[in-house]
Amino acid sequence: MRLCGRELLEYLCQKFGPTGFEDEVADAIIEQLGNDCDKVVKDSFGNVYALVKGESDDRVMISSHMDEVGFMITDIDSDGYIKFSNLGGIDPKVLYGKQVIIGNEKTRINGVIAAKAIHHKRREDRFTVTPIKEMYIDIGAKDADEAKEYVNIGDFGVFNSDFVFFGTDNKYAKGKAIDDRAGCCAMIEVIRKIRENNITLPFNTYFCFTVREEVGLSGARVAAERVKPSRAIILETTAIGDIAGAPAHKRVADVGNGGVISLMDRSTIYNSEFVNFTLETAKNNDVKAQVKRYVSGGNDAGHIHKSGKGVKCVAISMGTRYLHSPACVASMEDYESIRELVFAMLQNMKAEV
Amino acid sequence: MELKKLIVDLSSLMSIGGFERFEREKLINLVGEHFDDAYLDKVGNQIFVKKCGKENAPRIMLDAHMDEIGMYVTEILDGGFLRVTNIGGIDTGIMQASDVIIYGNSERLFGVVASTPPHLASGSGKDLPKMDELLIDTCLTKEELESKIRIGTPVGFAPKYTEILNNKIMGKSFDDKACAACALYATANTPREELAGDVYVMLSCCEEVTGMVAPGAYALNPNYAMSIDVNLGRVPGTIKEETVELGKGPSITISAVTDRKLTKMLFDIAKEKEIPHQASVSPTHTGTNAVSIQLSREGIPTVDVGLPLASMHTYNEIISLDDTKTLSDLIVAFITDEKIAAEYGKGGLEI
Repeated sequence: MRLCGRELLEYLCQKFGPTGFEDEVADAIIEQLGNDCDKVVKDSFGNVYALVKGESDDRVMISSHMDEVGFMITDIDSDGYIKFSNLGGIDPKVLYGKQVIIGNEKTRINGVIAAKAIHHKRREDRFTVTPIKEMYIDIGAKDADEAKEYVNIGDFGVFNSDFVFFGTDNKYAKGKAIDDRAGCCAMIEVIRKIRENNITLPFNTYFCFTVREEVGLSGARVAAERVKPSRAIILETTAIGDIAGAPAHKRVADVGNGGVISLMDRSTIYNSEFVNFTLETAKNNDVKAQVKRYVSGGNDAGHIHKSGKGVKCVAISMGTRYLHSPACVASMEDYESIRELVFAMLQNMKAEV
Repeated sequence: MELKKLIVDLSSLMSIGGFERFEREKLINLVGEHFDDAYLDKVGNQIFVKKCGKENAPRIMLDAHMDEIGMYVTEILDGGFLRVTNIGGIDTGIMQASDVIIYGNSERLFGVVASTPPHLASGSGKDLPKMDELLIDTCLTKEELESKIRIGTPVGFAPKYTEILNNKIMGKSFDDKACAACALYATANTPREELAGDVYVMLSCCEEVTGMVAPGAYALNPNYAMSIDVNLGRVPGTIKEETVELGKGPSITISAVTDRKLTKMLFDIAKEKEIPHQASVSPTHTGTNAVSIQLSREGIPTVDVGLPLASMHTYNEIISLDDTKTLSDLIVAFITDEKIAAEYGKGGLEI
């Protein structure tokens, strides 16, 4: 079924796609792309490449990652409780008490990240964070043998979180994996807009849905070498701190003010001409955009901008509160701003940019 | 009446300490038809009555508390954020990135407990935030919030019930509404002519904070009582003798502060009727309403029974549905037992 907008975002976010296990997300994306691209291929890593042919052989890459932060099962104890490690950076403070889904190629099973109740904690431990090593996943198994019927060491896990639209005019989304299914969703919708408006872009555009961003950006690394683009747009999410009491310079950006354009982060200094072109395009098309106010994080640009002979990059992020948690919060208005900005950029991007 | 559905329906209700009557109409609609009377006592305990039909019958009290842990709003901040304080003991380790429902003046609002992004975190990262340092994000404006809620508006965890292996289920507030459901279910499904006395199921209020069962038991003046509450489940890192095992049946508490003879009789009945059960030894206190009931008036013989529960006081408490079935069986055995009624049903010691 062809889904659009918020339904498409929810559909993609609820897929099971922890880092290193992205196939279910890839399949959903390929299904939603339908026949809108000139070519859709998947490499051995699991990266998906969707080509929209243009007027010249010049290549532009647009990249979003399919993987989400999650877990890997490391052990099953003698009583059937399951030990795990995080895949990607997750604050232990958002783990305790959360429902999860554990899975492999064949099975999915429900569980919850648990620890001993506060009633059993020593007084001095009641005010400290429970380390991941002291947490376990409870799937209800009666012993190790039963647990092993459903879970293997090396299986993957993700948060089990309801996707909810809420807040003013229900325009905010809450759920898991908005990082970076929002980018994947925007790419699908940009491709559709190009087709629906019968637009021929000035260059071949490779929409790359990458794997393994959360643990070392490695999917994008091989994708960039395969595509060999002259320029790349990275669609991401960025952690922001626009919460009550946070000082302005540490807010990073504000939810509702449009896509967040990075000047610099921990892995990249972005090409300034390309950044200026992005900001001007936003202005000329009445699309909201904002400049990132804090140097933090990193994304697939880290590898892409250094790939081959070097690639001019710009990163457009959706400011997302509580990133890497089961309850990421973002604005659908920002999502639309980003989608429209990318659509406008592709049509206006001259070879000299 | 299906037990699992009743447990989930009851546990889903908003009944945070002090707000137990918030969805009373729904509660009455769920079970009221199975009882002869349903009334609130002076302090807000909800009582469901089923008469046995005999004259001068013993008065049997079943107690399970209706209140659940939760929060209320203490401050409305710029940008649509709320500060809250807890009602009942909440481990702040579960708070961040959890889904909450704000029970506003005329509508329910959804919210998320904010987690601090790493670059804004202070300290070593090892300390848990205090309740008054946490923020709830509503994605509404301050003006919208001020028209929809006020200081004191209750905030609860969002219900999300999921089944896991071995007929276990997880979600919010099985403490103690799963037990309340068992007491209601057991009483409703017992034909009145089989009851050993008139049964008063008391869904008591405020247990997690101050406890209001004492005036409730005083007013009710039962001949004997069973206090039913959840009991700490055995999980990694806990001590065997302080915990009970999920799936092994309800626990019967052995304690110096409950009725020794009544407890012994309940163990005998469970054995005789082959109802799975386990002993839970709490030498000097039960941590439940049992002691308050026991010490009411001239002393009300009380037995303390527990439903094994893991992850207590989180929004994903785990229980075994098998245990709820056997707990219901044990309650039926208790309220139909003529030996107990003969021993304790008379009352009135002359001195």
